[in-house]
Amino acid sequence: MTERRIGVYVCNCGTNIANVVDCDAVAEAAQSLPGVAVSRSYKYMCSNPGQEMIVQDIREEGLDRVVVAACSPRMHEPTFRRAAEMAGLNPYLVQMANIREQCSWVHDPGETATDKAKDLVRAAVYRAACHEPLERMAVEMCPDTLVIGGGIAGMSAALELADAGNRVYLVERTASLGGNVARVDLTAPYLDSARDMIVDRVTRVVEHPNVDVLLESELERLDGFVGNFKATLVRRSSGEAPPRQVVDVGSVVVCTGYKEFDAARVTHFGYGKLPDVITSFEFEQMLKQGRIELKDGRLPQYVAIVHCVGSRSEEFHGYCSRVCCMTALKYAHEVKSALPKAYVSDVYVDMHAFGKGCEDFYRRSAEVKTLFLMYGKGERPVVRRADPGDDCEMLLTVDEQLSGELIELPADLIILMVGMEPRDDAGQVAHLVNISQDKDGWFIESHPKLDPVATTTDGVYIAGACQSPKDIPDSVAQARAAAARILGKISRGKLEIDAMYAEVDEDLCSGCRVCNEICPYSAIEFDEEKRRSHVISALCKACGACVATCPSAAIKARHFTDAQIFAEITGVLA
Amino acid sequence: MSFEPKIVSFLCNWCSYSGADLAGTSRVHYKPNVRVIRVMCSARVDPTFVVKALAEGADGVLVCGCHPGDCHYSEGNYKTMRRMPLLKRMLADFGIEEERVRLEWVSASEGTRFADIVDDMTERLRALGPSRVKTALAYDAVER
Repeated sequence: MTERRIGVYVCNCGTNIANVVDCDAVAEAAQSLPGVAVSRSYKYMCSNPGQEMIVQDIREEGLDRVVVAACSPRMHEPTFRRAAEMAGLNPYLVQMANIREQCSWVHDPGETATDKAKDLVRAAVYRAACHEPLERMAVEMCPDTLVIGGGIAGMSAALELADAGNRVYLVERTASLGGNVARVDLTAPYLDSARDMIVDRVTRVVEHPNVDVLLESELERLDGFVGNFKATLVRRSSGEAPPRQVVDVGSVVVCTGYKEFDAARVTHFGYGKLPDVITSFEFEQMLKQGRIELKDGRLPQYVAIVHCVGSRSEEFHGYCSRVCCMTALKYAHEVKSALPKAYVSDVYVDMHAFGKGCEDFYRRSAEVKTLFLMYGKGERPVVRRADPGDDCEMLLTVDEQLSGELIELPADLIILMVGMEPRDDAGQVAHLVNISQDKDGWFIESHPKLDPVATTTDGVYIAGACQSPKDIPDSVAQARAAAARILGKISRGKLEIDAMYAEVDEDLCSGCRVCNEICPYSAIEFDEEKRRSHVISALCKACGACVATCPSAAIKARHFTDAQIFAEITGVLA
Repeated sequence: MSFEPKIVSFLCNWCSYSGADLAGTSRVHYKPNVRVIRVMCSARVDPTFVVKALAEGADGVLVCGCHPGDCHYSEGNYKTMRRMPLLKRMLADFGIEEERVRLEWVSASEGTRFADIVDDMTERLRALGPSRVKTALAYDAVER
């Protein structure tokens, strides 16, 4: 093998890496590794000057391999591959060593962490020496899109794509569009009607020539890959052979939303036992019908609104459901305008008024004489029936945090602000479209800050509350962002897909066909004439299962070859 | 100085490697004895990788994949699930202790779990002592 010219770049990541790992020492140690021509330590490799440094070294020092020791390759591998490409170096000749997420952020400062970083860099250098230039495949991008879920997010994504002239299949499991927003009366903080908003969207979607709305339908199967998916859609019906259709789509947007927390799981509020303890969604229903009343038809004199039911609790969900605080304030306004004489108390843990216009809304709520009482996180306000002589139906006992007093609050109607949780079938959906869920069950985005609508499966996007609790503006923004990502791909017409796939060496293949069975994508065909197997590269997703299975070592995983991984093992232990 | 084992860990890109990254972003500290090698799927982990790591001086090898049912490639981890016990049985015949090779499922949201597994494995290997595979191989080579 001719001598390599490898460039090693050790990123300090400001102080993120440099505070724990001696980056200069790592760069110096790398200098003496075989094939290393240049080794540098720099403050921020991902910055423009950092990338420039790589580009310049490739050009001036004639580098043929690049190793960047920095953050996770899941973060910046595309960045450094682009930099290499800019300098005319094949992007697959770049290798990263993860010395941030898997070193400096998890170990104490000192020699041990620095030694580990040196080992990881050595492994990357050994591996990079075995890298081969690879060409990406160009595939057609189907401009049609499948949108799963007909709520506010799904409809927004569908309209954005359809308005740009593309076909959209909008699949909705229920018999109507609108999702959870259709169950709401007014919206916070501007008190405009959710109904108007939804009716406008539904009308536009239904009448749009580019949108096929499929109600009472669901995705049954998704095959293929980005730009070239085949989606099997099934109409749910009681018949034995439900009607199915297979559509070609280039992208999928998952907008399956959330379900509300089941208030019956919390026992101390008496939900399900006391007739006038209701959930926020039951109260919305009441508001939509235009009359706030008790079960027996009387008007309530005391209305209590309780926050964080199911949210921000160790028992149920640790996260904040984000919309309940402002919805609770909205209820205070709606009760006050319908029943001016009613006393409204708002029993909260912390008031989260972070959205645009929300802090003003909070202030205005105090002005309409809402009584705010703060209870402690982990505390439990308890509801009991009032005594016969009292002028109210129930009593709510609150350990009020600001006054430090135990307060008994009269209540005729108690509204429980139930949080959001992932739908029961979120796991099934995740499985169908091949995306992941976090510990709470929400779908995981590609990057929490920089790539919030893409997923780890290329061509599959997420938008709205299926990703995490979200209000209407955030859901719409995310949906339109997902649509924009898809429109970008559509406008390019062709897609470059990863050059990683498996290849069979026909000279080594014995024709045993073990790999044919092992491939989960049926991407390996058997050529009856040649008596050899071969991989259909467009269908291969590069898992490498066949490679490890082949008894003749005839299959090569491009970019994850045996030689490359052996080199990495040797390097990490040398 | 006390014995510090070296662990080579093969992590699948989608679940376990992300889980290890999450330990980082969450600043969940663990023992610095582990060195990670990324593979796309745990099913890519050829038994020879494990043998190679032991032969080159690893005191332990940790293979992690997605939980059964959650594989990014739908069923790769089931292949791993069958392959690893066979390998361990073979290694046992060569006198390699069972604790040196470990298969675990770590999802993308289980940063803490990854950290716990590394800490636990480090402790067990400390108790077990250094692997003799590398020196035995070197001795064999000299004998021949």
